Amino acid sequence: MLVWFLPVFLVLLIVGLPVFFALLFAPGALLWLNGQERDLALLYRNLYNGMDSFPLMALPFFLLAGEIMNRGGITERLVSFAQAFMGHLRGGLAQVNILSSILFAGLSGSAVADTSALGSTLIPAMEKQGYTRRFAAAITAASSVIGPIIPPSGIMIIYAYVMGQSVAALFLAGIVPGLLVGVGLMLTVRALADRYDLPKAERIVERDATIAPVEYWVSFALLRLNVAGVLYMLSWLLPAGWGEGGLAVYLGLLVPAHFALVWYRGRVSRDFRIVCKKAVAPLQTPIIILGGILIGVFTPTEAAAIAVAYALIVSFGVLRVMRVADLADVLRRSAIASATVLLLVGAAVSFKTVVSLSHAPEIMADFILSLSENPLILLFLINVLLFIVGMFLDAGPAIIILGPILGPVFTGLGVDPVHFAIIMSVNLTVGLATPPMGLVLFVASSVSGERVETISKAILPFLAVEVLVIFLITYFPAISMTIPRLAGFAN
Amino acid sequence: AQEYTIRATANSNEQDEDYDGLIVFKNFVEQASNGAIEVELFIGTQLCSNGAECLQGVADGSIDVFVTTSGGAAGIFPYVQVFDLPYLMRSDRVAEAVLTDTDFTRTLRDLALESSGDAIRIMTIGNTGGWRNFANTQKTVATPADLEGMKMRTVVADLPQELVKVLGASPTPIPWPELFTSLQTGVVDGTKNGITDIMNMKFPDAGLQYLTLDGHAYMAAIWVMNNEKFMSMPEDMRRVVVNGFAELQQATFASPKRKSISAYEEFAAAGGEVYVPTPEEKQAFQDAVQPVYQWFSENVDQGDEVLQALRDAVAQVEEEIDADIAADLE
Amino acid sequence: MGLVRGLLVPLELWNRWALALGRGLALVALAIMVIVILAQVFFRYVLNNALPWPDEAARFLMLWMTGLAAPTAFRRGGFVAIDTVQRLMPRRVADVLVLVLLALSLCVLAVGIQLGWNHVNSGWLFNSSSLRVPLDLVGGETVRVKLAWMYMSVWIGMVLLTVVAVELILRQIVRIGGEADTLSPLAPGDLPEAE
Ligand code: NA
Ligand code: NA
Repeated sequence: MLVWFLPVFLVLLIVGLPVFFALLFAPGALLWLNGQERDLALLYRNLYNGMDSFPLMALPFFLLAGEIMNRGGITERLVSFAQAFMGHLRGGLAQVNILSSILFAGLSGSAVADTSALGSTLIPAMEKQGYTRRFAAAITAASSVIGPIIPPSGIMIIYAYVMGQSVAALFLAGIVPGLLVGVGLMLTVRALADRYDLPKAERIVERDATIAPVEYWVSFALLRLNVAGVLYMLSWLLPAGWGEGGLAVYLGLLVPAHFALVWYRGRVSRDFRIVCKKAVAPLQTPIIILGGILIGVFTPTEAAAIAVAYALIVSFGVLRVMRVADLADVLRRSAIASATVLLLVGAAVSFKTVVSLSHAPEIMADFILSLSENPLILLFLINVLLFIVGMFLDAGPAIIILGPILGPVFTGLGVDPVHFAIIMSVNLTVGLATPPMGLVLFVASSVSGERVETISKAILPFLAVEVLVIFLITYFPAISMTIPRLAGFAN
Repeated sequence: AQEYTIRATANSNEQDEDYDGLIVFKNFVEQASNGAIEVELFIGTQLCSNGAECLQGVADGSIDVFVTTSGGAAGIFPYVQVFDLPYLMRSDRVAEAVLTDTDFTRTLRDLALESSGDAIRIMTIGNTGGWRNFANTQKTVATPADLEGMKMRTVVADLPQELVKVLGASPTPIPWPELFTSLQTGVVDGTKNGITDIMNMKFPDAGLQYLTLDGHAYMAAIWVMNNEKFMSMPEDMRRVVVNGFAELQQATFASPKRKSISAYEEFAAAGGEVYVPTPEEKQAFQDAVQPVYQWFSENVDQGDEVLQALRDAVAQVEEEIDADIAADLE
Repeated sequence: MGLVRGLLVPLELWNRWALALGRGLALVALAIMVIVILAQVFFRYVLNNALPWPDEAARFLMLWMTGLAAPTAFRRGGFVAIDTVQRLMPRRVADVLVLVLLALSLCVLAVGIQLGWNHVNSGWLFNSSSLRVPLDLVGGETVRVKLAWMYMSVWIGMVLLTVVAVELILRQIVRIGGEADTLSPLAPGDLPEAE
C-alpha cells in the first residue's frame, strides 16, 4: 500500500502541484489511508527537523553573497574580463558566456542565479551581434550548470548535509569537473561555429576604461598579496629550512611579486590592464572561501558568512555601485529565495522518512545489486536513472531522497563516497538544464523571452557534451578525487 | 500471532554497539514472546537525526524505542549529563554494577517520567563506545597543564564545555561531520571521544596522534521507550520487554571492550601514541576538575540530587566490589 | 461571485500587510544571522574564546526567516512547479485543474497546522542547549529558552501559508467566473533565485 506514494507523487508533480506540496501530500495521504496516523506526526516533525541545521545555513549565505555581488556591479566586471580574454575568437560571445559562467561559479552556488545574472547581460548582447536568441539562451542555460559544480555549491551543501560528508571535500572535488564541463562546452561552440555560422568578433576590450583610485589601489594590493601567496606556497617545495619562516618570508616575497607584476604590466595594453584590474576584487572571493576552508580558518557555513561580509565591503567600499536602500532589497530577496529552498529541503527530508518507513531503500538496494555486481555497469545504470530523475525533480530534493538509498550501495561496492557525491551532484545539476522540469530552462526563457520548448531543442548538442563529461567523471575517479586527495581531504 | 510492533531506532550504523544491542533485543523479544512482539529496526537517521528530534518522536509515540547519549538527552533530561561528569566511576566493573545492581537507573527513570509528562520511560542504561579520552594533534598530554590553550572540540552542551574550560583548554563546538577537516586544518587541536569513534572517522589521517587514557567520562547509552506503548502491553509482554532490555544491556557492555582492541591496534599502526597517566597525574586531573561538580550542582536542574544518588550508588558498589576482590584474592 | 469578492477583500488586505511585515522581519533575521556567525568567527580566532550560542541562535533565526518569508514566495508564484501540462490543456480545463491543486495544497496546510500545534506544544518540554534569556542582568534569573519558541516559526509559517492558499483559491474562483480582469496584481514579478 505504502509504496504507492511514489507514483502518486509523480502524477501530482506532472499535473503541476508545487514540489513542496507534492512532497508532503503523496506520502501523507497514503499514511492516512493506511491508518498510520501517528506517522503523520513524524512527517511534520521531519519537515521542521530537515530545515533545522547549521551546515545548511551556508545555503542562504551564499545566496545572499551572490545577490550582493550581482547588485554591486560585479557581474559586469566579470563579463568584461571574460571578453578581454575570449571575445576575439570565432563565436566569441558564446565563449565569453561560458568563461563568465566559470568565473561566476566561483562566487555563486546556484545555476539559477547564474542564468538570470549573466543571461540578462549576455543574451541581448549576443542577439545584437547576430546570434539567434534561442542559441544565446541555450548556451546561457547550458553553461549555468557549471555554477553549482565549481565551489561554492548549494547542491553539494545539501548533499553533505544529508549524507554526513565534509562540505570542504565535496567543494574541492567539484573544481576539475566544473572546469571540464566548461572546456567541453567551449570546444562544442568551436566545433559548431562553422555550421551555425557564428559571428566572429574583434577582441573586445572596453576602450578608455577608467578605474576609481580606491579600486586601483585595492587591486594593486590584492594582486601583490596573491602572487606572494603563490610564491610562498611554492617555497614549501624547496629543501627543508627554506620555506619555514612564516610571516617574514611571506612579506619578503612581496618584493619579487611586485617586480613580476611590473614586468607583466609592460607587456599588455592599458585598456586590457584596467579591465583585468577591475576583476581582481570580485575574483578574490573564491580564493577567500576556498583558502579559508583549506587553511582551516573557518567551516563552510562561516566561509559563507565571510563571503557575505567581503561582498559588502567590495560593493560598498570598493566598487561603490550599491546603496544602502539596495541592501534591504537584496536581503529581502535572498530571504524569500532561501525560504523556498529550505522548505523544499525540509519537505524532502520528511518525504524521505516515509520512503524509509516503506522499506523502499532496502528493496531498492537489493534490486540494484540483483541487476549486476559490477560497479562499472551499475554506475552506468545510475547515470541513466539520475538523468531521468533530474528531468523531473529539482536537484536538492532528488539528492535528499535518492542519496541515502544509492550512496551506501555504491560505497559498499568500493566507490569512494566523495567520488559518488560528485557523480550524483553533476548528474542532477545537468538535470537542471534538461526538459521538461529543468529549472534553468524556465529562467532562461523568462530572461530571454524565448519559449522553453525552443530553448530545449537548441540546448541538445550542449547537453550531449555534458553527458559525455558525466561519463568521464564517472569512470575516471581521478578527475574529481585528485584535488581533495592532494589537499588531504580524502583517502 | 504478531500483536505488537516495536519500532526501534538508533542514530548510528551497523558497526556500532547500539546495533549489537538492538539485534540481541530483537532476537530475544521475538523469541520470548513467541512471535507476539515484532521489533522493527531503523538504523541511522532515517526517522530522526539527533537526540532532541528522536526523543520528540518517542514522546509523541511515532517512535517506540530509541537510544541516546547523555548529551543528546540534555535538552529534556539535563540531569543525565551526570555521566559526563569526570572521574566519578573508576572502572567498567564499577559502572556496570552501578547500572545493574543499584536503584540508580530507577531514580533516573522516575525523574525522566516526571520531566516528560509520563511520556518517556528510561528502560535501561548500557554503554556506547567505552570511555571518553582526550586526544589531540599537538603533543603528549600527561597533566592538565599540557591542555592549556588547546582548542578542544565539544558538542554544543554546557557541561563538556565547562569541563574543557576548567582544564585550561578552549572549548570549540564543531559539527561531527566537519570534525575531520577541522582537526586537519587546525580549527581545533583535539577532541574527546571513545577510541572506536576516533577510528571509525579515521581521525589519525587528520593528524590526531596523541591519546591520553584519562577515561574522563563513561559513554552511557540511555535506552528509552514510549511509556504509553510499554504500559499498554499486558504484564507478561512487559516482562519480555524488560528482560529483552537486560539482555541488550549486557551486549552493549561487552561489545565496546571487544571492538576497542582492534581500534587501539589500528590507532597505533597509524602512528598514534597512547599515553596512560600515572596515578599522580590522574590525581592532578581529578583535582583540576573539582569546580565542574560545583557547577553541575548549581546549574543543572535536579543536578544536586542526581549527583548525590550516583555517588551513593558508586560508594555502595565499590564497597561490595572491594570486598569481593579481597575474598577472591585469598 | 459577490460573496467571493467580498471575502477576497479582507484577505487581500491581511496578506498585503502581514506578509510585508513578515518580509521585513525575515530580512532582519537574515542580517542578524550573518552578524552572529561573523561574531562566532571573530571570538574563536581573534579572541580565542569560542561562544556557545551562535550556532543555535543562527538556526533559530533561519527558521523564523523561513516561516515568515515563505508565504510571500507562495503568493507570488515562487514555489517550483511544472506547468507544462497545464499549458497544453484548454484554458478552462487548466483553470479548474489549478483550483483542484490549490485545494490539495490547502489540505496539506490544514493538516500541517494541526500537527504543528502538537509539535509546538511538545517543545515546552525541551530546553534549548545553549540559548537563555539573560534576566539576571535586570535582577532576575537566567531562563533557558524552550524549543517551542523555535518550533513556532514553522507553525506560524503554516498559518500564513494557509491564508495565502485561501486567497489564491478565491482568486481562482473569480478567474473561472470570467472576471479575471477585476483582480488586482499580486506583486512585482521578481522570481526568487534559488539553486
Ligand atoms: Na559555484
Ligand atoms: Na553562461
